[in-house]
Amino acid sequence: MTDVMEVEENAKASPAAVDMYEWREGMPWNPVERVILERRSVRKYKDKQVPERLVRRILEAGRFAPTAGNSQSWKFVVVRDRDMIDAMQKYVQLRCKVFKFFLNWQKSPLGKLAWFYTQLSARVMPNLLHPIPFGAISLIAEGKLKLFHDAPTVILVLVDRRGAAKPLVDVGICGQNMVLAAHSLGLGTCWVGFVEVFKFGTRWKKKLGVGWPYELIEGIALGYPVGNPDGMIERELQEIEWWEDGRKRTVF
Amino acid sequence: MAYISFRERMIIPTYDNPEHGTSGRVVIDHEKCNGCGNCVIICPGACLYVAGVGKDKKAYMIDAPFPDCMSCNDCSAMCKRGAIKVSVTYGYDYFYKILHRGELAPPRNF
Repeated sequence: MTDVMEVEENAKASPAAVDMYEWREGMPWNPVERVILERRSVRKYKDKQVPERLVRRILEAGRFAPTAGNSQSWKFVVVRDRDMIDAMQKYVQLRCKVFKFFLNWQKSPLGKLAWFYTQLSARVMPNLLHPIPFGAISLIAEGKLKLFHDAPTVILVLVDRRGAAKPLVDVGICGQNMVLAAHSLGLGTCWVGFVEVFKFGTRWKKKLGVGWPYELIEGIALGYPVGNPDGMIERELQEIEWWEDGRKRTVF
Repeated sequence: MAYISFRERMIIPTYDNPEHGTSGRVVIDHEKCNGCGNCVIICPGACLYVAGVGKDKKAYMIDAPFPDCMSCNDCSAMCKRGAIKVSVTYGYDYFYKILHRGELAPPRNF
């Protein structure tokens, strides 16, 4: 009986001790806010493998993400095999070399024709061929950027396309839950959207279990960071339209 | 209330034309920089390098019209000496014109 009482008292005492679940004007960041604000994408990992139980714990954070209609429209594939991760990196590098050959009109032997169909493709896939991923294709092809940045563990997030309402958003929320949990536990993470390339590889799709209704959406590289890359940074303010008392203001 | 004109929307900017956009830029305080190279290791755009020997070993940004800097500021988070910081954020014109953004600011706790 006394044990139960003690546990309850501790549970009551702990939120106040870490300044959670309340707000005062100008108060310092609480632990959750700190993890959110200090999380940076990590692109250099130690060789040391992440303990299996820690990965399992991070996956739990994903399992309890909010979803539309509680449809939980996702599937996880965890890859901790160094050889397999290297093979995946090699495959994507090869694919990026092919893309670069066809899409880089400055160096493509197809010249002006390459420029034309690249412009056309950018119109069809404006997100995938945004100038930033365009640059990343070159970097991966040249080997300057590794697919999973040599992380020892990779969580691949698949979406179930039959999910309620907006399954892609649900997958995003789920992934962010895992990423924040991982950072709060001292790990580093990086979102890897380039796993999209595996949709061109029939053998990879079979190996990773990507078949209808599943679709490979994102990869999350997971590992112990080299140095301390987390920290708060400066970022652009966002223009916010604020309606109140029948008037509109613009705030930043 | 269109945010982008129809003409702008119809033009896809190309990554190699300086008239179509600006790359991110960083400023490096060479008095604080000790040339440890941590920023070089983590830069996703591979647009930093370290040059010089001994005390003159410092980080620099590559001299290209379009370095792949996406102004992520990871270098500034990595640098515990506070020597490096994004000064210009990347932006493309026309179809990819950046809308409704303000100046750079650290997190504010109001």
